[in-house]
Amino acid sequence: MADLVGVNGQREHFRVVGKPNLPGKVSYALATGVAKFGIDFVVPDMLHAKILRSPFANARIKHVDTTKAWQLPGVVDIVTWEDEDIKNLGATPFSFGKRRPWLDNIAEHEGAEVGVIVVAENLDICEEALRLLDIEWEIMPHVIDILRGREEDAPVVRPPELQDIPGGLFTTPPDENHPKRGNVSFAITVQGDVDKAFQEAENIIEYDLKLPAFASHIPNPPASVAWWFDDPYEGSGKSLHIEGAVQRKDSIGAMYGMPPNRTVQEGIFQGGKYCDWGMRRSQEITPLLAKRTGRPVRMANTREETFDFLMKERYMYLKVAYTNDGLITAVDDYSIADGGTQGSSSFGTSGDQGYGPYYTLRCLNIRQQMEIVDSNRGKMYLSGQHCPFNWDAGTMAIYLIAEKLGKDPLEIASINVHGPTSQEDKNPVPSFEACIEAGRKLMNWQWHPARGKRLPDGRWHGMAFRYQICPRHAFSGYDCKLELRDGVVHLPTQGPVTGIFAVECNAMVVAEELGLEYDDIKVDFDYREKFTPVGGGSDGSTASAWAMKECANILKKMILEAAIDEANNPPPPSLFDFGRPKEPSPLKGRKPEELDLIDGRVVVKDDPSIGVPLAQATRRNLVATYSGRPPAALWSLGRGKMLDTMNTAYCEVAVDEETGEVEILRFGVVADPGKVLRPTSLESQIDQVMYFSQGCQLLEEYVYDERTGVKLNNNMVDYRKPGMLDVPPVDRQFLETRAGNAAYGASGISHSLANTHLVIIAIHNAIGVWVDPPATPDKVLRALGKA
Amino acid sequence: MIHEENAGKGSAVNAVPVAKSPFTHASTSAQAAAAIGAIPPVLKEFNCPLCNTLSYSLNELTKHYEECHPGSVVPRIVVLNINGKDCEVLIEPHWTLKRALQFRLGLTGAKHMCDRGVCGSCTVIIDGRPVLSCTTLTVECEGKAITTVEGIAANPKWKPLIDAYCRWDAMQCGYCTPGFVVSAKALLDRSPNPTEDEIKEALSGNICICGTYPRHAQAIMEAALKLETEG
Ligand code: FES
Ligand code: FES
Repeated sequence: MADLVGVNGQREHFRVVGKPNLPGKVSYALATGVAKFGIDFVVPDMLHAKILRSPFANARIKHVDTTKAWQLPGVVDIVTWEDEDIKNLGATPFSFGKRRPWLDNIAEHEGAEVGVIVVAENLDICEEALRLLDIEWEIMPHVIDILRGREEDAPVVRPPELQDIPGGLFTTPPDENHPKRGNVSFAITVQGDVDKAFQEAENIIEYDLKLPAFASHIPNPPASVAWWFDDPYEGSGKSLHIEGAVQRKDSIGAMYGMPPNRTVQEGIFQGGKYCDWGMRRSQEITPLLAKRTGRPVRMANTREETFDFLMKERYMYLKVAYTNDGLITAVDDYSIADGGTQGSSSFGTSGDQGYGPYYTLRCLNIRQQMEIVDSNRGKMYLSGQHCPFNWDAGTMAIYLIAEKLGKDPLEIASINVHGPTSQEDKNPVPSFEACIEAGRKLMNWQWHPARGKRLPDGRWHGMAFRYQICPRHAFSGYDCKLELRDGVVHLPTQGPVTGIFAVECNAMVVAEELGLEYDDIKVDFDYREKFTPVGGGSDGSTASAWAMKECANILKKMILEAAIDEANNPPPPSLFDFGRPKEPSPLKGRKPEELDLIDGRVVVKDDPSIGVPLAQATRRNLVATYSGRPPAALWSLGRGKMLDTMNTAYCEVAVDEETGEVEILRFGVVADPGKVLRPTSLESQIDQVMYFSQGCQLLEEYVYDERTGVKLNNNMVDYRKPGMLDVPPVDRQFLETRAGNAAYGASGISHSLANTHLVIIAIHNAIGVWVDPPATPDKVLRALGKA
Repeated sequence: MIHEENAGKGSAVNAVPVAKSPFTHASTSAQAAAAIGAIPPVLKEFNCPLCNTLSYSLNELTKHYEECHPGSVVPRIVVLNINGKDCEVLIEPHWTLKRALQFRLGLTGAKHMCDRGVCGSCTVIIDGRPVLSCTTLTVECEGKAITTVEGIAANPKWKPLIDAYCRWDAMQCGYCTPGFVVSAKALLDRSPNPTEDEIKEALSGNICICGTYPRHAQAIMEAALKLETEG
């Protein structure tokens, strides 16, 4: 695969694409603090709102008396789940069929939004009013430990009225052949004859691993402010202004019957998402509250209220058959996964079975059986960068087989990864081979078995390796538009800005195709525009850039045609022609195919010294549009069974057996995103996922009180993210095989490098024992039998 | 422009000052200066935080409290020196500086990430020292010189720092970035040629979830060089 279909997909020379240190188009707004995120907006006459949050892990409000709360000065409105306005409220897209009401009286985890919303003059009053509610709770048994929750005598925690509501597009579909039992739903997929393969196996290993829960941590707590206003340009009736909805402006508008043209949002800054694209209630409800009160209303999550999951807990039990050469012949994966609360995403549960590590193997016998346990631990809204979350189950198989056979895991991986076209394909994947080769050099890779190397300071040295596909899973279409206005190329977009420098990739591609510099492309942010460069992470950037490349070439054609037309038929002189050359244009009589755009000039291809600057070539305003998408990504066609762009990651640790302390000496990453569009941000994206990986394997952990089901550390003091002094060096190297099929053969690196066990494997390689993540010193010592 | 949380009842609320593209140093610096310029030095309107009733003096508001909210703590005026400008701010005693900056003064460069003093996103400089505005009471700040990121952005002297941050992509989503810039400025004030280790130490209280950590030292060292040569 490659970008064979798009214009100039095979371009060989790049002036702009791939260039480092080109400032982002919004960087100055961010660095100076003038960029406003949803939580920043404050408008005159604004009210504040807060939703009641459950103090119980599983409870139902039987009755609420709001009398005392209403008596509190400054309370302006109180809405409960029984209110018609709430009952009539539609949900944003991503939910079909029978719907759970937008707000009801059931709280499935501690901190869940439930039952009542208070609107008041300030936040303190909101909080006081919530305290003054007289609530009669029915407290129901809860499940925090999913191993307990799967047992037959465990209390069924999901109330009957929520049992048959599909949570949305990304929730677990029921498995018709294996009906739900108690808290447990089942997801089972089988390929090949697994039992026979085990019977015939030369070797079998069995192991288990625990995937940790990992917190979402959108840096800017979700928030919105909304109000209604008279818009004389749109006729009678009010229009909606909402800030903080960002990417979902139109779908939130639709919740209130507002078409896009009557839904205004000026802010473009969305903050980091890390694939957690789910909207929060604080971003959806403010229009209703503003309508009811006649004033602008703001609602914001606190940091404590943002501890949703980016990854849910899972226990995995693996049995793997392999030959004496290390070729895997059967995989039997039994998982017990946290299904979370109603409406939780199926990524991390059944959604991982569609693709994952096993389908990159030549092994044809794969069984994945999963118990998905309803729990009261919390909610995962959509996805997370570690997704598919089971990837490191495969990484561990390769490591363990290498250990058993006394071989290098790189060698074992190379034997097992199938060829580009299918699991039966024995040809090498060029991208994989190139990554491995570069990785050996980058890391000065000298494999040793567990407890095989001590550092001069006495600590044990450990090393680990993993590979992954670089999938382009972005499948959106894009409505691109480019304008030539007064000789300047404009790229209008609604944004949003999510930290992935997507519009910059688009601007670079436009500059490349039009023979201009990056700074020549003016990006105009306007919420009324259709084009959004987002549709995933870096993979969305490569996909939108492909569509924008088409658009740029349409504009180019228009420019060349207009230039010739104006050269042949010069417009009559006008008073405002200052600076325009009076002599005939050298483009006169030419054909479009004889011309090109180079260095900001329309020139004759055969002799580029003949030409005119773009601004003089045509005075027309030209608008080019292109709606479409790149050819389907190989990932979406093959789901791991077809391979194009790949990456490898490495880790070296030092473990102190006396203290249990683990130091990551360095991470190494060799990634083939197909083609590097914007290297500076690509590097940062790699750093970010490696730090996420470090965090989830060494530092971050949810702590619950089992008895009450209350989360004990949903704050940034007790749930610690890595800081400047914690992070190890990340050595990175990019390869460009051009094997993807978005812009110029790019795929991106989304969902490919975040991992749950690279460090854990390196720790095992150092000290020869397994430690579940996060490998805190006490756990390391316990694993060593020292604590 | 009215920044007060409850002020200006009935005013044209759709006049939201959002940053407008193109975002150059000149345009964003001007927007930061405009945000500072819009802070009224003297308060003329006093909205009751409890019921939004408008008074025209603190005395009038105090009387309103006696009549309508007896027993409640009456808001007070503090005079803050923000980015070199003295301004009266009506606050309640428990208000943090972060809250006053956002909800009274319209300065939103200091960001709310953890609200517990661990992430550094809300950093401002008070009397030359980086301080976390989410854990600092506004009443403690009277008589002290407060610099926010807007003050740094509006001051042409610090253009090299902002430029370097942009050139080196020392940001992804950018939410934590103003906090880093303020910490960096405080560092450069006391140590104009910091080493990489000094930079890491100085920024160790700033959390970036997007993982931009390796970028900051590059940016700050480049800025330091430029600041030195430009005098
Ligand atoms: S918001 Fe103040 S330190 Fe985090
Ligand atoms: S750039 Fe996103 S949190 Fe730092």
